[in-house]
Amino acid sequence: MNKTISVKRYVPDNAAESYWQAFELPVDDSTSLLDALNHIKEQLDSTLSYRWSCRMAICGSCGVMVNGIPKLGCKTFLRDYDGEIRIEPLAHFPVQRDLVVDMEIFLEHLAAVKPYLIDDDPVKPFDPQAPETYRQSPAQLARYKQFANCINCGLCYSACPQFGLNPEFRGPAAIALAHRYNQDSRDHGKKQRMAELNRHEGVWSCTFVGFCSKVCPKHVDPAAAVNQGKVEAAKHTLIALFKGDEMNGEGKAHE
Amino acid sequence: MNKTSSQRLPPLKRNWWLKHRFFKLYMLREATVLPLVFFLLCLMAGMVALVQGADSWQGWVGFMGSPVVLALNLLALAASLYHAATFFVLFPRVMPLRIAGRSLPDNMIVAGQWAGVVVVALLFFWLLGRA
Repeated sequence: MNKTISVKRYVPDNAAESYWQAFELPVDDSTSLLDALNHIKEQLDSTLSYRWSCRMAICGSCGVMVNGIPKLGCKTFLRDYDGEIRIEPLAHFPVQRDLVVDMEIFLEHLAAVKPYLIDDDPVKPFDPQAPETYRQSPAQLARYKQFANCINCGLCYSACPQFGLNPEFRGPAAIALAHRYNQDSRDHGKKQRMAELNRHEGVWSCTFVGFCSKVCPKHVDPAAAVNQGKVEAAKHTLIALFKGDEMNGEGKAHE
Repeated sequence: MNKTSSQRLPPLKRNWWLKHRFFKLYMLREATVLPLVFFLLCLMAGMVALVQGADSWQGWVGFMGSPVVLALNLLALAASLYHAATFFVLFPRVMPLRIAGRSLPDNMIVAGQWAGVVVVALLFFWLLGRA
């Protein structure tokens, strides 16, 4: 069976404007969108550019818009589409070429929330002879595990209208990752991250549209993380208000 | 890191929410506040009328009974129920509850909130029945 997919092309060397190009290709029940793009590249038009690597929804490289909805190419099957299939680069990111977008801003947002264990006061200095590992109970793990499944594919940023309206918004994945470390029993960096989260471009830009969680291929539920972050940020503000905390001043300096 | 080192796109157009059903439902959820504002203005007018005296109060009662106002307030009731339905589903995701270290299932939290609505409604009808 043959199906037609239309791809939004942008080849700045040849044309200043983007244009649509239709490809007809053979498909069966197991043909993923990524298979289709590979078929186009190998058989029909070698100038098509797109990103991919693992083809099993773990590298997070092959995100594109399918009929206006952000999807991973490898996790999208053409059998689920009758009629028109329109493929575009991920929304809300600058397009570099064809389906390849510039994700620099997303990486900046990720780095800004310090997504790593912060432990200024480890129990003991590291001793290579008798290394001491962190201990964590299954219950402590369960508090953040869901938010640790993010593969940084960026689909949630393409789903988020608030990020589309204001790219300075830290966005779903970055805030979900901040929340993941804030919830981790081994981490002590919550205070540092709060300065970043508890401001307009942090959690407070979110209006719980919730589409980010709908499109997330790993069921991270970033909308839940962001809104749990609002509860934490509100607590932080209240505590700072009564304690006259110096952290509040630092948070304001960012605004 | 230089904050503006990466490229920025122009912001979305005002009609961004017309693109998908999902965004339209979101805007519907947010728009439920509009009929509720009308209902609150009615209530405030009622309080002012109460202070002004019996004639004014009777006028307000008549106003509240007019078909257009009744229809608008029925719309406000429907809007608040829709908003409650969406809010109750979101609640367990924002405030996951744990009792004795075990997290409560989402549908139990949602059911609990609806049970609260029923209790308040029953209390309201009981008070209304006594008056």
